[in-house]
Amino acid sequence: MKITIGHLYPDLLNLYGDRGNIQCMMKRCQWRGIEAETLEFKLEDEVDFSKLDIVLLGGGSDREQMIVCKRLQQIQKNFKDYVEDGGVVIAVCGGYQLLGDYYQTDEGRMEGLHLVKLHTEQKPGRLISNIVLKSDLFDMPVVGFENHGGRTDIGDNQPFGKVLYGSGNDGESGYEGIVYKHVIGTYLHGPLLPKNPQVCDWLIEKALERKYGKDIELQPLDDQEEKEANAYIVNRFVK
Amino acid sequence: MILRRMLAIWISKATCVVCKLAGKQGVTLAGKIALKIDPKILMELSGQVRKKIFITCGTNGKTTTNNLLCSAIEAEGEKVICNHTGSNMLNGVVSAFVLAAKWNGKLDADYACIEIDEASTVRVLPYFKPDYMILTNLFRDQLDRYGEIDITMELLKKAMHMAPDMTLVVNGDDALSAFLAKDSGNKYVTFGIGKQCQQEKENAREIREGQFCKCCGEKLNYHFYHYSQLGDYECPNCGFKRPKLDFDAENVKSGGKLSFDVDNREIKANYRGFYNVYNILAAYAAARTAGLELKNYNKVLADYNPQNGRMEHFHIKNTDVLLNLAKNPAGFNQNISAVQEDDKPKDIIVLINDKDQDGTDISWLWDVDFDRFQDMNAASITVSGIRCQDMRLRLKYVDIPSRLEPDVEKAIRSRIADGTGNLYVLVNYTALYDTHNILKKLEQEKA
Repeated sequence: MKITIGHLYPDLLNLYGDRGNIQCMMKRCQWRGIEAETLEFKLEDEVDFSKLDIVLLGGGSDREQMIVCKRLQQIQKNFKDYVEDGGVVIAVCGGYQLLGDYYQTDEGRMEGLHLVKLHTEQKPGRLISNIVLKSDLFDMPVVGFENHGGRTDIGDNQPFGKVLYGSGNDGESGYEGIVYKHVIGTYLHGPLLPKNPQVCDWLIEKALERKYGKDIELQPLDDQEEKEANAYIVNRFVK
Repeated sequence: MILRRMLAIWISKATCVVCKLAGKQGVTLAGKIALKIDPKILMELSGQVRKKIFITCGTNGKTTTNNLLCSAIEAEGEKVICNHTGSNMLNGVVSAFVLAAKWNGKLDADYACIEIDEASTVRVLPYFKPDYMILTNLFRDQLDRYGEIDITMELLKKAMHMAPDMTLVVNGDDALSAFLAKDSGNKYVTFGIGKQCQQEKENAREIREGQFCKCCGEKLNYHFYHYSQLGDYECPNCGFKRPKLDFDAENVKSGGKLSFDVDNREIKANYRGFYNVYNILAAYAAARTAGLELKNYNKVLADYNPQNGRMEHFHIKNTDVLLNLAKNPAGFNQNISAVQEDDKPKDIIVLINDKDQDGTDISWLWDVDFDRFQDMNAASITVSGIRCQDMRLRLKYVDIPSRLEPDVEKAIRSRIADGTGNLYVLVNYTALYDTHNILKKLEQEKA
């Protein structure tokens, strides 16, 4: 079996250890004997979604996000088809905001990809802290770090998790992120996947199932160190 | 007013003594108290500096550059004030002046060399206008505290506007620093390494900042990189490019010892680490720009013994220990290169904390090229500190096993008891002071 990961615009969207998410997906495939490759796309490259099994859209500064957002409009239709067809996407921070309809900042309105019904508005004060979630998708809590000025309204969509510690989408609703089909959008970096192998494996599993058209049960790995690092954050911040 | 100033000085000095006795670093507290008692104290004391005031800013290399500059000027027979310990926010800056002042409220100084945290420049510059600002480089650092690098650049731009007569001494190899200088309207001179050295291969995957032209947004073309985004760049669209280097280091050699030529002089130092070429060059460029001769610079470099955890050496029992600060991806990658220059077998301890001053977000660990630890001739790697679990995981994902020991003293003792006799301790900010003290203590223990 083989997985191809598409990393969109790492030249611009590479804040907060996004590389760690790629590395985590690659390793957790390779440790199981699943072949894995990552294609890094530059702004001028054509993105052929039919060749991709997982797409990573990371975070960048507002300025860099603005540059990317213009380019994303040109691939919007193909991206949308990929998502509707069950394509796996992990979108973090700025990438998460770009999934929605728009991101309203003090400097203007950034048009989103309209892949998921959500929108974001910048408000005074950034939400910066460690964060712990309980997601319906997993037994193990999801841990990470959030740092965002935007407040995201996900409407009636399914959140990624309930906030046990930290701020989440808007600091008020008590929820964080979004799950839509096989898309996870979240403010959690840290990076997200290494301390949350359950999330990484969910992405890999969904990608393999879509590609090979059958149920996949991933071979378990020795996740002692991952679990200990995850539990450290949970124990420290959730009383 | 003089009474108030004297009172501020006395109480601050006393505070500092008490803190030292209690084993704490009291420098910032002393500054805070002084400013409370006499809000004008920084303005008045800095006004007594007889000749020039230098400030040093930039993500990495501030402390080394600033301390070197101070030593170099002292070697010219001048009296210099300096915040040696690297306390570089407003209170630390105040403290440097207050602690150097005499009991009668007078300052006896020809020059001041003050390093200032980039975000603090706009808080310090209302009190005095420096004559020179060194800008070493700009890398991503502590995103949770400072936000994105764009925000840091905005603050520095403001600071430059606050002191329009201040001459900038900037790293021309850094497109971000060079852009700030060009954009500021201030006078500026540049330093850098004009020609390519043999650094690039190992750094091919490094995270690079500012890949897009700050003038027009186009992607910059690079003729070569030295490390991170430092190199020879050019914008294909608007023509922005690396400026002509006023102080160009040629024939650069790194390895166990550093040497390079500038101004038809050969500069030599006993330090490890290619990045130190920039630090040595920056201090040189600043002093020369201010009209100092620096005839004895090589002697200054030979005598310079860092005592602040920048490649600080300890000898404990039969083990050589090097303590070095590594607090962001660019700094850590350069640290790894410096450790690699030593091909002897070694033990490595990496200590990661996540206190406020470190940055509570430690995701930057994943932007460091730790896979290069594989070719280090490392007999053991120990992870320590508050976030040792994260560090262990970081190494696991480049297939490097490590030992976990949250307590750094235990980790160090263990490696000294049965290690290779060659120990590197790489720590981030808040761990530096304590680790330094532990190593000092171990050095004094009888074998």
